[in-house]
Amino acid sequence: MGLDIIVGIKYVPNTTNVNIDPKTGTLVREGVPSVVNPHDLVAVELALRLRDRYGGSVTAISMAPPHAVAGLEHVLGMGVDRAILVSDRVFAGADTLATSYVLAKTIEKIGRYDLIVMGQETIDSSTGHIGAQVASWLDLPYVYYAIDVEYTGDGFIVTRELEDRVERYRLAKPALISAKMYSLEPRQVTLRDKLRAVIERPIETWSNKDLGLDPNCVGLRGSPTIVSKVEFTPKVPRKNIIFEGDLREAVRKLVQALVEEGVI
Amino acid sequence: MSSQAPEERKRRKIRLEDLLNNNIWDVDPRPHIKLDTSKCRDCNYKPCVLLCPTGCYTTHGDDVLFSYEGCVECGTCRVVCPEEAITWEYPRSGRGIHFRFS
Amino acid sequence: MGDRFDVIVIGAGPAGSSAAYNLAKKGFRVALIERGRKPGSKNMFGGRVYAKPLEEAFDGLGKAPIHRWVVKERLSIVNKEEYVTVEYTGRGRKSFTTYLTDLTDWMAGRAVDAGATLITEVVVDRLLMRDGRVAGIVSGDDELEADVVVDAEGVNRLVLERSGLVERLTLRHVALGVKEVIKVDKGDIEKFFGLGEDEGLAWVFMGSVSDGLPGGGFFYTNRDSLSLGLVIYLEGAVQGMRRHIYDMVEELRIGPLFSRYVENGRIMEYSAHMIPADPRAIRPPRLVWDGLIVTGDAAGLLINMGYTYRGVDTAAYSGMLAAKAIEEADGDYSASRLKRYEEMLRNSYVGRDLEKFRGVHDLYMNPRLFNEYPALLTGLLRRLYEFDYEGYKFSKAFSEARRGLVSLPRIFLDLLEVYRKL
Repeated sequence: MGLDIIVGIKYVPNTTNVNIDPKTGTLVREGVPSVVNPHDLVAVELALRLRDRYGGSVTAISMAPPHAVAGLEHVLGMGVDRAILVSDRVFAGADTLATSYVLAKTIEKIGRYDLIVMGQETIDSSTGHIGAQVASWLDLPYVYYAIDVEYTGDGFIVTRELEDRVERYRLAKPALISAKMYSLEPRQVTLRDKLRAVIERPIETWSNKDLGLDPNCVGLRGSPTIVSKVEFTPKVPRKNIIFEGDLREAVRKLVQALVEEGVI
Repeated sequence: MSSQAPEERKRRKIRLEDLLNNNIWDVDPRPHIKLDTSKCRDCNYKPCVLLCPTGCYTTHGDDVLFSYEGCVECGTCRVVCPEEAITWEYPRSGRGIHFRFS
Repeated sequence: MGDRFDVIVIGAGPAGSSAAYNLAKKGFRVALIERGRKPGSKNMFGGRVYAKPLEEAFDGLGKAPIHRWVVKERLSIVNKEEYVTVEYTGRGRKSFTTYLTDLTDWMAGRAVDAGATLITEVVVDRLLMRDGRVAGIVSGDDELEADVVVDAEGVNRLVLERSGLVERLTLRHVALGVKEVIKVDKGDIEKFFGLGEDEGLAWVFMGSVSDGLPGGGFFYTNRDSLSLGLVIYLEGAVQGMRRHIYDMVEELRIGPLFSRYVENGRIMEYSAHMIPADPRAIRPPRLVWDGLIVTGDAAGLLINMGYTYRGVDTAAYSGMLAAKAIEEADGDYSASRLKRYEEMLRNSYVGRDLEKFRGVHDLYMNPRLFNEYPALLTGLLRRLYEFDYEGYKFSKAFSEARRGLVSLPRIFLDLLEVYRKL
């Protein structure tokens, strides 16, 4: 009774250390390489664990420019079975609504699936919209902050973890879940799987020719969100205070300083 | 700082942390270097501390504190460690440092 | 895994990419395995490459990312605030500056274009041994077989170590290179150094910059950035370091030699890498085994000529020779057949220059080179040039500058040594 799972990934600039140009005040993007959104790797890990447990397949999808193929190769290297890159100029400039629409239509076209797994959010925009929106386009039950899934044959028991409690939901299949970030450690890329990704190349590229979507509903034109202004939070100058003394004394001074600053 | 002439400021060292902030890493949550800190206490020179270019090794009294996140994978620490206290592997899955302009 | 490769190349650096390119173009099925996310992302060098060997190894430089052709060479002897510089301006165009990260990506791209299969993000843990010969590689739980393996893993040769083919790296084997790449306006670079649009400067310096330890510094002009760094030999450094290596590099940046060039610059990257040091120590007892050829830094093929290092071109050249040897072996990859590689290497410029300059490392181990002589030289020139009314006679200036630093016979012997070894 294998599980056919679709997992969504986004290939994002690795913004772990983003530098701001002191002169222009803008982000230094020169030569910043992209990575698979780390929170999506948790979704991939969850999907792979479910496949390993119940059998079936994992298909990764991503709506992105062609260079995102490297991100799909990365998750194929982790053991994902198949990947679909949805790439078309008309999809460019999409907000979360237009993106989720394209992803939903992609999933519809894939057709056969039991479960969709997404990451909680992305490191480059942190909206957390996509999972909920795709679920609503496809009219699927949706649970977020998921940390584990049990397959019951006709549905799933999804465990989700909140700050103060753990909840269990019973979902009919097909369903969509977002994996809680940091809840699982993504597995490593292996030689065997990477070799398969490179040699068999189980990556398809779909354009809007394959999906046939109304250009008014995708890309910039299908995006009602307007980013009117971006403001950076003011940089708080660091005080560079070093607290001397033995550990106990230094910590006491530190706590006192934090209290004085109103931080704690 | 504002009272300082701009010339003076330009000629000041950049802190190591700020220098490192220009680099790109994809840090693996699993450390690729393991340090047997019990061997560090009796190490006389602790050469790792001054020779690790990214300051992954610092001292606290006789102890050596270690963090692998800023490692640029040069491998020097393993070579200079007189106690053979360092187990050194390359990060997997393409993680670790990602040089762009070197 | 049903797919079988003729050759596995460990590492898509200069040596590995060259081997893969030269094998793939002859129709070999090549797996080029790279631990980085993309070729070059783990590579670092001083800043310049000699062009000709590279051109030969890759059948032209085509779209190689060349920043500037070196037309100016500077050598400075530094004693704290004072320094003596020799500058040579020539016709140049023998070497160019670049980012090795980009150049390596280009080299690996050549290999891929020629038909090699590039597998990134995979660490090779050890060699797969079968019946006493190398039969492939092991990564985690996975094995991959091939008829022959080219080891181009670089200076930190963990694969060879784990396979017991070389001893563990020691202080004698390696030096540490650290560098900052600093963004500077293209026009400023050309103005500062009197360079044309694609012309570059290579500058090496030694003396007090390494706190009196064996080592030296380097400075290269890229298209719109500067590479500034330091090399420290680990042998002397373990006990001799007085401050953090980062401090030494930063001191250089803000010090008298360079601050005026970099003061409006923005740091782009801070990188470090090990470098083969004593060529006699790091060279493996042999470079071929049954089913295995060792190339590039892993084979210790870096030439320190005293005033310039060459490692990238020699690596690429050795990769090309490895490919030739494999082709000539005609399916018999026993050590005795692959010995052809050692022979070709020995007879190439790489082998000859390694032999010629093998003693330079000993010169570098002479502490007077970094302490007494820079002080003597600057002391001499200070006396010769800096006076109010009355000048010095050379002989008097020399003997005064020398006083307490180094004896005449010692100077004579050291000079003789330099003459012999350079």
